[in-house]
Amino acid sequence: MADIKQLQKDRQQLFTDLYEGRIPKRVPIMYNIGWEAAIQLAGHDLKQAQWDNSIVYDVYDKACSRLYGDLAPVAMTLRNPMHYQMLGAKAIIMSSSGQMQHPEIACLEPSEYDEFIQDPYKMMVDKLLPRLYKALDVSSGQKALTLGKAFKAYNDENVFYGATIGKIVEKYGYATIVTHGFGEAPFDFLADFLRSFSGINMDVRRMPDKVVEACEAITPHMIKLLVHMNPNPSILKKGFIPLHMAPYLNNKQFEKFYWPTFKKVVEAMVEAGQGVDLFVEHDWMRFIDYLADLPGRIRMRFEYGDPKIIKEKLQGKHIISGLYPLTLLKTATKEECIDKAKELIDILAPGGGYMFEFDKSALSMDDVNIDNLIAVTEYVRDHAIY
Amino acid sequence: MSKWDHLTKAVGELEEKKVMKILDKFISTNPTDKEVQEVINTCHKGMVMVGDIFEKGDYFVGDLIFSGELLAEAIDILKPALRNCDSIKKGKIVIGTVHGDLHDIGKNIFKSMAVAAGFEVYDIGIDQPVSAFVNKVKEVQPDIVGMSGVLTLALEAMKDTVDGLKEAGLRDDVKVIMGGNPVTKEACKYIGGDAYTTNAAEGVKMCQSWVG
Repeated sequence: MADIKQLQKDRQQLFTDLYEGRIPKRVPIMYNIGWEAAIQLAGHDLKQAQWDNSIVYDVYDKACSRLYGDLAPVAMTLRNPMHYQMLGAKAIIMSSSGQMQHPEIACLEPSEYDEFIQDPYKMMVDKLLPRLYKALDVSSGQKALTLGKAFKAYNDENVFYGATIGKIVEKYGYATIVTHGFGEAPFDFLADFLRSFSGINMDVRRMPDKVVEACEAITPHMIKLLVHMNPNPSILKKGFIPLHMAPYLNNKQFEKFYWPTFKKVVEAMVEAGQGVDLFVEHDWMRFIDYLADLPGRIRMRFEYGDPKIIKEKLQGKHIISGLYPLTLLKTATKEECIDKAKELIDILAPGGGYMFEFDKSALSMDDVNIDNLIAVTEYVRDHAIY
Repeated sequence: MSKWDHLTKAVGELEEKKVMKILDKFISTNPTDKEVQEVINTCHKGMVMVGDIFEKGDYFVGDLIFSGELLAEAIDILKPALRNCDSIKKGKIVIGTVHGDLHDIGKNIFKSMAVAAGFEVYDIGIDQPVSAFVNKVKEVQPDIVGMSGVLTLALEAMKDTVDGLKEAGLRDDVKVIMGGNPVTKEACKYIGGDAYTTNAAEGVKMCQSWVG
């Protein structure tokens, strides 16, 4: 038990050093497999198990007994189907294979921009939520009951999962980085949930000024989610923002629509002392200088890009992770997988500011050869020592 | 030089207002079918230009989505002016997003570019089981089957789909192309496809080379 406590302390120190700008003893390992993949790894039926919290401990325990990680190598369910089903969600639904996904959907019409810009919160509550969640498209009384029921389910599940993770963390001696809020860049919020990927690409050409104003109107609400609702901020806690749309825009569109309001959100977080955790989705090499210029010490998980340039631009300022292609674990030999880890470590680890992570998390155990996954993470554990 | 070069350019440069103005003016002249077909072909040429600019790296996915919308708008204006709708199609493609995956933006971009290039495209939708691909291939006997997916789990579903076509004895009758974020050379080999791409314009070119 004392050994586990010491292990936990050592692991926590890796992250504390990393986040506070010192070189840790070793490259910290922070990957996780998706909850859906972990269910499959534990041998449960994916569609059934997501409704059954009696299997939660078993799912964590089976994955953690096989996989090495400095943090628990399993992601807590991101999209529990219970409350989404109660709310009749249209934007987050389960596919035939059992993974919860986000289909292309719009709830704001182009003609409604002005109304939205004037009072985004009122518009969300009165009109947009009932369009995104059909169980809220009812009388006020029924809406209150549905919302109450769904929120209770959401909360109960979160508490249950949280308590289970707590037991797992103690059993395996994992370090923890507390999640402190989840938000989006204002342009991504507008695209992902209100206007859709396709819709926003019409709007930026047909009504550019409205798009700019809408992003500005969303910004204080994102700051509220990521800053004001989080008392006792710390760089060791993470406010998580997955970045989505920028790589699909041209440079002028990025500068006009995407960057200004996103930068405001990050500045507010940094100013408040809140840790920032970005998933830099797709390829951001065109915008790497913008990322490098952000204030604070931000963890940036990259999906694609040139590791050498990323290191050169971000060194000494931000924390780099990602870039290891998850799909390699399925298609390459064990030696090739380890060689890739070595290649990335050689580029990214010198001088610190790096933690090992895959470019994306496995959504299904079909995505990876588990022997390769184990070989790679154990290689990093045993060799990426400063 | 053609008298429609300015239209090709306007489509290629995604100048929506200019394109609509040219087309509205054209329709008001009560054109013959031959003239309408010439203008439709001109719009297709503009789409080829869009694809070329994308390949050069000066257009991005958002521009491709907009170009698809622009072409659809143009065709909506031009189609009613055709008295006889028969036009020669280059080949047939059945496309769909494989089972387990609900993403369709990439598929839709490819579809609009393939239609623009003159293909007859049958889109079976998202999260489609192997049987839906097999049945549609039996029904329309396409030259090409296109499988789309964004999630990594789509790779396994693509393999199932190709295996399904093999079992139904249909694999040798079609070329199989796959597109989407996770596809790679290795994945294509594993799945048993003929080609893969993460670039819709390039994918359409591959399809053109097959139907020659």
